[in-house]
Amino acid sequence: MDNAALKEKFFEKYHGEELQNCIQCGTCSGSCPLAPYMDYGPRQLFQLAREGDMEEILKANTMWLCVSCYNCTVKCPRDIVITDHMYTLKKIALQEGIQAPTTKLPALYKSFMGSVERYGKITDISVMNRYAFRQPMDVMGNAFLALKLARRKRLEYKVHPVKNLAGFKKVMKKARELEKTS
Amino acid sequence: MKYGFFPGCTFKGAAGYKESTEAVSQILQTELVEIEDWNCCGATSYWSLEDLPALILPARVMALAEKHNFKEVVNVCNACYSTLRKAQDKLAEDERLMEQVNEALAEETLSYTGSTKIRHYMEVVVNDLDPEEIKKHIKVNLKHLTIAPYYGCQLNRPWGDIDDLQHPVMMDRLIETLGASVATNYSAKTVCCGASHMMPYEKNCLPQIRRIVSDAHAKGAQAISTLCPLCQFNVDAPQSALDLPDIPVLYFTQLMGLAFGLEEKDLQLKKLLVPFKMAVWGG
Ligand code: SF4
Ligand code: SF4
Repeated sequence: MDNAALKEKFFEKYHGEELQNCIQCGTCSGSCPLAPYMDYGPRQLFQLAREGDMEEILKANTMWLCVSCYNCTVKCPRDIVITDHMYTLKKIALQEGIQAPTTKLPALYKSFMGSVERYGKITDISVMNRYAFRQPMDVMGNAFLALKLARRKRLEYKVHPVKNLAGFKKVMKKARELEKTS
Repeated sequence: MKYGFFPGCTFKGAAGYKESTEAVSQILQTELVEIEDWNCCGATSYWSLEDLPALILPARVMALAEKHNFKEVVNVCNACYSTLRKAQDKLAEDERLMEQVNEALAEETLSYTGSTKIRHYMEVVVNDLDPEEIKKHIKVNLKHLTIAPYYGCQLNRPWGDIDDLQHPVMMDRLIETLGASVATNYSAKTVCCGASHMMPYEKNCLPQIRRIVSDAHAKGAQAISTLCPLCQFNVDAPQSALDLPDIPVLYFTQLMGLAFGLEEKDLQLKKLLVPFKMAVWGG
């Protein structure tokens, strides 16, 4: 998709049009705990969106660093639901296969989802095992911590799946079908 | 009083949260009945990657609660709490999504109307119980213990309808009811713990943990109390990397248990990474 089509998707399908109300006050970037590490703070990101430079936005690490703390959202004087736009930008970036090269979050999210799709639930181990394939260094760095947890009997190795797992999977499958046709 | 209970995935593995919650809810007779066959709420992962499935996961939990006639769904995790509430808001304002969610849930003969009220157990204890009734169960005097009440993000934000957005006081009130002292002006109470970013982005999140811990020290606290498994873990686990004095991070239910005279082993205090020893404060 080109910039114009991407902007249309963001603004029409995902309610990004409310960014037109942004007064560029910078309250969001000022209250964001991760802004110092972001390629663009939320304020700058939204200005780029209005200008239509969507490819630049989708390459940024900004939305991947967003921890959903809602600090920005509750302070925005224009009532822009900033955190939700961060979610949207992650979705569009993945759909378009565009990604900041340093971003590790999709690997973590997918590991999490792998466990949910299979069992309907997660345990720390079920996510970590999947994540370890994708980002071994992050998991190795936590090996010492894992040992401390194991000693305190805090690691659950077995996932106790949803009881009606067949039913659960049917519901999820139907949801995906409905999403495709809509 | 009877509540539908949604434990969430991390409850069981959390350091004594399950044991202490079960013990105090029995004492206080807040009957937490587990919602049968619950699934993961999806948390930030699903909101980040999916549209409809991100709504289906919390909707299924609430539909199961409706099926068993629960009027209220009680959470013990901030992320579960906010995910359920967020799904409820989104479905309430979008008829088409509501239809699609119900079409998918029909595969399991479930249906969702949005009739359940979403709550957090801490807030249930503070709002549904008479503090004088809670005080009747106190067996141990905690007045020499000063607690920094740490709330994290997703209990009050983005709604701000059950407490103040930046400076909530509900847990402060609970701590006072229990006879302990509240660290005054604990301004880090709603600083984000970094949530799931602590693993991939630990370096970027540590400054927040430093602030949560150092502010607790600065305000004279001997322990931090939490109400979410992710918050507890993120503030407890990385302290060795902070070059600050360690401070134990307890669940509010463990603190209640201590006041009610329960044993350290009933509350599984040994599962905490930074140890908490009641004897140190004399009880
Ligand atoms: S706080 Fe709101 S109005 Fe201000 S810059 Fe951020 S998005 Fe725009
Ligand atoms: S919700 Fe995201 S963008 Fe907003 S302040 Fe928190 S981390 Fe920053």
